Amino acid sequence: MPGKIRKTPLMEAGRDYLALGLEGSANKFGAGIMKHPKDGAATVLSNIRHTYITPPGEGFQPRDTALHHREWALKIINDCLAKAGVSMHEIDCICFTKGPGMGAPLQSVALIARTLSLLFNKPLVGVNHCVGHIEMGREITGAQNPVVLYVSGGNTQVIAYSRQCYRIFGETLDIAVGNCLDRFARIINLSNDPSPGYNIEQEAKKGKRLVSLPYATKGMDVSLSGILSAVEAYTLDKRLHEEGAEDKDLITPQDLCFSLQETVFAMLVEITERAMAHIGSKEVLIVGGVGSNERLQQMMGIMAHERQGQVFATDERFCIDNGIMIAQAGLLSYRMGYETPLAKSTCTQRFRTDEVHVAWRN
Amino acid sequence: MSEDWHSVTLKIPFASEKHALIAKQTIEVDPELQPHAVKRIITVEENVLIAAFSTLTIRLARLVANAFLENVDLVVRTLEQFGEEAENPPSS
Repeated sequence: MPGKIRKTPLMEAGRDYLALGLEGSANKFGAGIMKHPKDGAATVLSNIRHTYITPPGEGFQPRDTALHHREWALKIINDCLAKAGVSMHEIDCICFTKGPGMGAPLQSVALIARTLSLLFNKPLVGVNHCVGHIEMGREITGAQNPVVLYVSGGNTQVIAYSRQCYRIFGETLDIAVGNCLDRFARIINLSNDPSPGYNIEQEAKKGKRLVSLPYATKGMDVSLSGILSAVEAYTLDKRLHEEGAEDKDLITPQDLCFSLQETVFAMLVEITERAMAHIGSKEVLIVGGVGSNERLQQMMGIMAHERQGQVFATDERFCIDNGIMIAQAGLLSYRMGYETPLAKSTCTQRFRTDEVHVAWRN
Repeated sequence: MSEDWHSVTLKIPFASEKHALIAKQTIEVDPELQPHAVKRIITVEENVLIAAFSTLTIRLARLVANAFLENVDLVVRTLEQFGEEAENPPSS
């Protein structure tokens, strides 16, 4: 039957569901409360986050990041409950990031989740961080079956859904695109406030010159570490100057930011387009911290329009790591009967997106 | 030879046996990162959490004791923040 919409295996809610989501796989700690009402669309009741920002030129180390989360988590969870106007007793399940991510920060959040679970006798739901991004993106934008570009400091993947699995069509062969951008920001000593990527984006707008950088797509995948080395080499180039005049042969850090973005984003657009062509999709959903970059959205939009398609993106509340996406993905699993027993509530630094059984979709 | 190993025992009293058990169950989920060099036994006696470690080196003894205490601190602060609310469920 043409145009038939298959029913989702997710049953009608039947009653109101509330989930607390806790996220801490990188340098942001987030808590969020999601409501799935018995009739109606999912509602974000609260979504609060605090970012561990290091001085310019420095990245964040696991131990310090874990200490940051341990310091901020309880206050943020409290604020989150207060803003939503719910108490822990009303929560149905406590969702936390099982992985992937940094070990010590993940474990710090898991300890809090377990303590709350035992204290209030609530089930735990371990969530895959990447699936969290995807489910929140789907929920917010309403995209039906998009090719997902998941780009952040820790991950770079092109994902498409098929038969209860988020399949990875292409990915980075070495470092994530956000990692590449962040490390370059450190090299040129940009501030990490609010995030290195944001500051690179602002500097890039002032760039005038496109310098030659390697373009490294490898079939459906990309390779980024060589490009980082190449752009770093330019910072040692004699021609580098703080303020360049257009008639002189000078390169500014702004030109390098601009060139780096244009190159890596073009690569990402290419591998996304390959996946779209492969499965015949007309929708692109961009998730992950780098997804908040407006130039990336613009470039992806140009490609999508050429294919009579469209781009879906969320704003920084949901793009950048947050607790509500964990609550969303966790609640979907929970409603399908999934729980994480205490003994299995460990965290793992490596957790592939395609390892998750997406029971809540057809 | 376990006689050459170093041992550290930590005893932490909690407000109640329930809280001590919560701490035990929360912390014991994560295995030690070097099981061949660190042996750990966590028990509860009334309201006291007891962790007994045997380690191959003094450095490891310091690291595991420190990590354990940091974890206990996090659990204690969580119990402090939410413990009272947990005892008082709203009457529905």
